[in-house]
Amino acid sequence: MHDPSSLLLVATGAATGLVGALLGLGGGVFLVPLLTLALGVPIRAAIAASLISVIATASASATVNLNRGLVNMRLGLVLEVATSVGGLAGGLTASLLTPHQLFLSFAVTLATMGVVMAARSGRRNVIADPDAEPGLLGGRIQEGETSYVYRVKRLPFGLVASLVAGAISGLLGLGGGIIKVPVLSSFCGIPIRVAAATSAFMIGVTAAASAFIYFSRGDVAVPLTAAVALGALPASLLGAHLSERVRARSLKVLMAVVLVVVAVRMGLEGL
Amino acid sequence: MNGPSRLDRAIEVALTLGVLASGVLLLAGLALGRTELLRWGIVLLMLTPVARVVVVTAGLFLERDWAFGLISLWILGVLGSSLWMAFA
Repeated sequence: MHDPSSLLLVATGAATGLVGALLGLGGGVFLVPLLTLALGVPIRAAIAASLISVIATASASATVNLNRGLVNMRLGLVLEVATSVGGLAGGLTASLLTPHQLFLSFAVTLATMGVVMAARSGRRNVIADPDAEPGLLGGRIQEGETSYVYRVKRLPFGLVASLVAGAISGLLGLGGGIIKVPVLSSFCGIPIRVAAATSAFMIGVTAAASAFIYFSRGDVAVPLTAAVALGALPASLLGAHLSERVRARSLKVLMAVVLVVVAVRMGLEGL
Repeated sequence: MNGPSRLDRAIEVALTLGVLASGVLLLAGLALGRTELLRWGIVLLMLTPVARVVVVTAGLFLERDWAFGLISLWILGVLGSSLWMAFA
C-alpha cells in the first residue's frame, strides 16, 4: 500500500467505481481506457481488471439499491437471459468482425443513444396515479412521500439491447450497462434510477461469466486488479448513495455526455 | 418495489458478506504484500455474483415463483458452464 503506483490504482478504481455506481454502468467503460492509455497496462490485463472491478461495483452498489427498493429483480432476470446468450454469441462471432469495425459500430451505437438520451432527458417514465397497475415486469418507486408506478414498454427491444450488451461485454470487458441503462430509460419506460440500479444488479453476473475465463487463462494481474477492486468497493457504495441525491434529469444528461465522450474515443480507436 | 422484501434482504446479506470478506482480504494482501491473500480476495469477489444467483434461485423457488425461479436457474447454469469451461 506504500507503493505510489498501488495508491494510484486504488484511486483509479475508486473514481471509475464512483461514476459507475452512480450511473449503473460498473465503470469498465472508463477503467479500460484509463489503464491502457494513461497507465500503460496491457489490454488483456486491463480488461480482466475491469471485469473484476465491475463485479466489485455491481455487488457493493446492489446492497444499497436493494435496501432502497430500486432494483427490479424480475425485469433484471428476464434481461439477464438475453445478456448471457449475447455473451456466448459475442464470443462465437468475435472473429467475424475486425477490431476497427467493432470499435466503429460501437461508437455509432453509443453516439446515437447519447443524442436520443439527451433529447428525451425531460421525459418522466412514471405514472402519477399510485393505484395504476404496473403489469408483470413494472413496479413502484417511492420519491419522498409520493409513490409512482412505471410500466415496462417495448420489452422485445430491451431484450435485443441486452443481447447486444452481453456480446459487447464479452468482447470488450465491460458489464454492458453502457447500453442497458440508456435503452431501459429512453425506450422501455423505466425510471433512470431503477434502470441504473437494475443494470448494476445484472452486470455483476455478466462480468463474472467472462471473469472466470480470464482468471483461468492467467490474464488477471493480481496486485493491479486487487488495487483497482479495493478502490472500487467503497467508492461504489458512495456512488450508489449519491445517486439518490442527484436529480433524475441530471443523471440522464450526465449519461448522455458519457455516451458521446466514450463514442468519440471508440470512434478514434476505430479510424 | 416499495421496499426490500425478505428475498431482497437475503440477497443483500449474501452480497455484503462477499464484498466485506473480499475487501478485508484485498486490504490485508496489499498492506502485507501477500499475493495469495490478494488472489483469494479476487476469487471471493468473482464468486459473490454466483452466490447472489444461488440465493435468488432458492428464494424464488421457496416463494413458489416457478417461472422466474427457472429463469434464475438458467442464469445459474450459464455461470456454472463458464466456471466449468474455465477450470475443468
